[in-house]
This record gives sequence, C-alpha cells and structure tokens, in this order.
Amino acid sequence: MSFSGRHIVSIKDLSREDLIVILRLAQQLEAEPQPDLLAGTVMGTLFFEPSTRTRLSFESAMQKLGGSVIGFSDSSNTSAKKGETLADTIRMVNAYTDVIVMRHPQEGAARLASEVATCPVINGGDGANQHPTQTCLDLYTISKLFPQLLDGSAPLRVCFAGDLRYGRTVHSLLNALTHFHTELLCCAPRGLEMPSRYIELAESRGIRVEHNADLQECVHDCDILYMTRLQEERFPDPVEFHHIKASYRLDAQALEGARDHLRILHPLPRVNEIATDVDMTKHAHYFEQAANGIPVRQALLSLILGKCTPEGTLLKTTAEKGKGASA
Amino acid sequence: MSHRVRQVEAIANGTVIDHLPPSTTLKIASVLADHSDQVFIGNNLKSSDTSKPGKGVIKIANKELSTNVLSRIALLAPEATINIIRDYKVTAKGPISVPRSFTGIALCGNHNCITNHDECTTRFHVINPKPLTVCCAYCERNFPADELTIL
Repeated sequence: MSFSGRHIVSIKDLSREDLIVILRLAQQLEAEPQPDLLAGTVMGTLFFEPSTRTRLSFESAMQKLGGSVIGFSDSSNTSAKKGETLADTIRMVNAYTDVIVMRHPQEGAARLASEVATCPVINGGDGANQHPTQTCLDLYTISKLFPQLLDGSAPLRVCFAGDLRYGRTVHSLLNALTHFHTELLCCAPRGLEMPSRYIELAESRGIRVEHNADLQECVHDCDILYMTRLQEERFPDPVEFHHIKASYRLDAQALEGARDHLRILHPLPRVNEIATDVDMTKHAHYFEQAANGIPVRQALLSLILGKCTPEGTLLKTTAEKGKGASA
Repeated sequence: MSHRVRQVEAIANGTVIDHLPPSTTLKIASVLADHSDQVFIGNNLKSSDTSKPGKGVIKIANKELSTNVLSRIALLAPEATINIIRDYKVTAKGPISVPRSFTGIALCGNHNCITNHDECTTRFHVINPKPLTVCCAYCERNFPADELTIL
C-alpha cells in the first residue's frame, strides 16, 4: 500500500511490509542525508501537552530534509484555550501546512484529526493509546543492533520490564514485534502485568510469551531488555510502590553475567529505574535509541509526503533533476 | 388438565422482541419506545422447559423497527430474536442481525476518549461476536457491548 498521503495514527495501521519499508528508508537517510528532499514543505507541530524528544526530533528531522516547521508546544496560548474544538483547530492548521504532527492528552485525538484533515496526520502520542513513531524508532534501533530481526535467521528474545499494564510504548512495540521472529518475556510487578489482549495477539501470530517477575533472572535471559518507568500514581499503597521500585531498579552490578550482546533500551525519560552507572556499560543503548528518532521520522515524513516510491525508493529532488539535465 | 395462560398480551400488528436477557429488557424498552407507543413488557418469563433461565419479551404494537433501533438492540442483546406480527400472525422471524460496526448509538466507556470531549460521532467495531465485544475506533479500547451507554 502506498504511503503517499497516508496518516500514521496507530501501529495497527502498519503491516510488516510497511515497517520494513520505513526501517530500510531510515537506514538509507541516515547513511545518505537528503538536505533538499522536503524543501518547500511545511510541517505543523501541534503539541497540546509537553514533549521533549518527540517534538524536537520531528522538528530536527523536517529541517534536515529542507522543510520548515510551524506550530506550538503549549496549547494554553492557542484557541483551544478559548474553547475551540480539536476538529476546528485541525481544519485551520490543515490550510497552513503539508503535514501535521500532533500530541494530545485524549485518546483517539489523532484519529479524529485524521478524519478532518486532508493533509497527512502523524500521531505523536494520544493519551495512553498510541505513539507509533516511537515504536518505529524502537524497531529501527533493534534492527540496527540485531539484523536477524529482518532476516529472521534466529529468534530474537525481547524482555519488557516495568509497568506493562499502562505503558503505551510496550503495547505498541509488542504489536510490531509480533510481525517478526521473536520470543517475548514479560517482567512486571503484580498488578502491572501485560494485558491479556496483547498476550493473545502475540500467541495468535505464533509468538511465544513467557512471564517472570524477577528482573534479575530476566536480565540473564534476553537479547533486548526494554525497560519502562514505574509510576507512583499506579500504586494504591505508597509503601508497596517504594518496595517494588527498589526491586525494579537496574544497576551495573545486576548486569554481571548478562549475555555479552544484551542491549538495554528505554523510551525515556528514565527516573531511577536505570542507575546512571549502567550508562557507561556496553549494554546501555537508550540514548542511541533516542537519536534514531531523527532518521525514522525523516523516513516517515518522506514517505507520506510522496517523496518515495511505495517500496521506499527515494525520488529525485528538483535540484538533482536539474543537475542531471545540465550534465 | 394443562392450563396455558399467555404471559404477555398478544398484539395484532407490530414487533415482538424475544429471548432478551432479563438484565437488558428494561434498558431496551427505554431506548426503543417513545411515549406514544403501546408497549407490553414481560421479564423473567419461564418457558415450558423450566430448566432454562427466564427471558425478557417486548411487544410494540403497530410499529416495525428502524435499522438504527435494531442496531441498538443488537448491541445490548445480540441473541435476541425479532418477530414481525401482522393480523396476529408471525409473518417474519429471525435472530437479530449484528452489524460489523456501530455508529453514533453508544457512548465510549473511556472517559478520556476524544469522543467524550469533542465534536465527534462514536464508532465501534465488533472484535468478538460472543460475548459481543467492541473496540472504539478512536481510543482503541475494547468493551463488552452490554456495558456501553446507549444513546
């Protein structure tokens, strides 16, 4: 299915083939920067709630491709504060931009925007629901570290650890990983386990899912450890939270005896679930993961703005065509 | 000598909704009938086979139901049957048709769903027919259909 003009709202909208096109194009754009590819196009960033990595990496991705950016990162200065509906805000911004990237505190906001806008909409996070570009960059990071993800030569063992019940990043990544040759391990405290619908989805696609609440044991039993933050508001008992928080803290000592190639990912921000002494180990890869947001978001923008074939081959820019004619 | 008594008044013309789970009967009656309708409601009725649980029946005189109303009933009671009555005879009978999606007939049960805050018509896709489970097209949450608030 062609990407040109498509909305990127939910990871469920992306097939295995779509994901592979995105990952391969991201790799190409990282290796061969295209500073004029999106010249003359405007991206609107509508961030109705705070964001650091998503907004900045989208803006950087657009500017590195020659495009420009307008938008807001604080909805208190917009007509939304005056009571304007989201649909009306989108209709207005749609007239000013070629693509809209939005984050909104309410679930389903990006889907509604995609039904109103005539330009493509990219969901940069809608409440606790979806954050598909985070999933794409997670997948890109894993595919760079472990090429077997795409060639399927050997199963990749991925452990999700932390709050697996409410964390949207783990739900979306699990969904995406089930398209590939993987084994999944879920490590969560009682009450924050992975919802059964995601387990059933993985199993329906032939992916084995195991459970082990002991983080120390899981560290020694996976290729990728995907850590997430525990949030105090999820625990009715503060004493229980502090007890569990201590048992879900990863430090350098806990990594002794881990597989040599183990890599630790985290969607960030981390609070204290990963000690800073882990940063210095060969296993830490979360800052590289955040950096991968640039090529992945460049790939998505290029695809939906029609600068690639459906297979992800870059089309020549006007400047390149001019050079070819004069040569 | 057997003594059969009709548990709910017969209607000459109209619609009979049968085999309703008793927990849904009154809710369905309230969403499908308006004050001008002649409606007969029976609930927790026992069939001749006393081992079966009770059921609900609603009879609406002189009215055949629209697709929109039938969708609402299907959402609450997907195993109901619909009988069309003309001149005291059943002229059509069958299980209610459960659509693949429901538009604008129920509120999303997720309070943080955009449909509960903005100008938006709700839409749900059926993800499991039995027990009927639907997924909100916006917030992507799944709900048992009988837990939704019908509009």
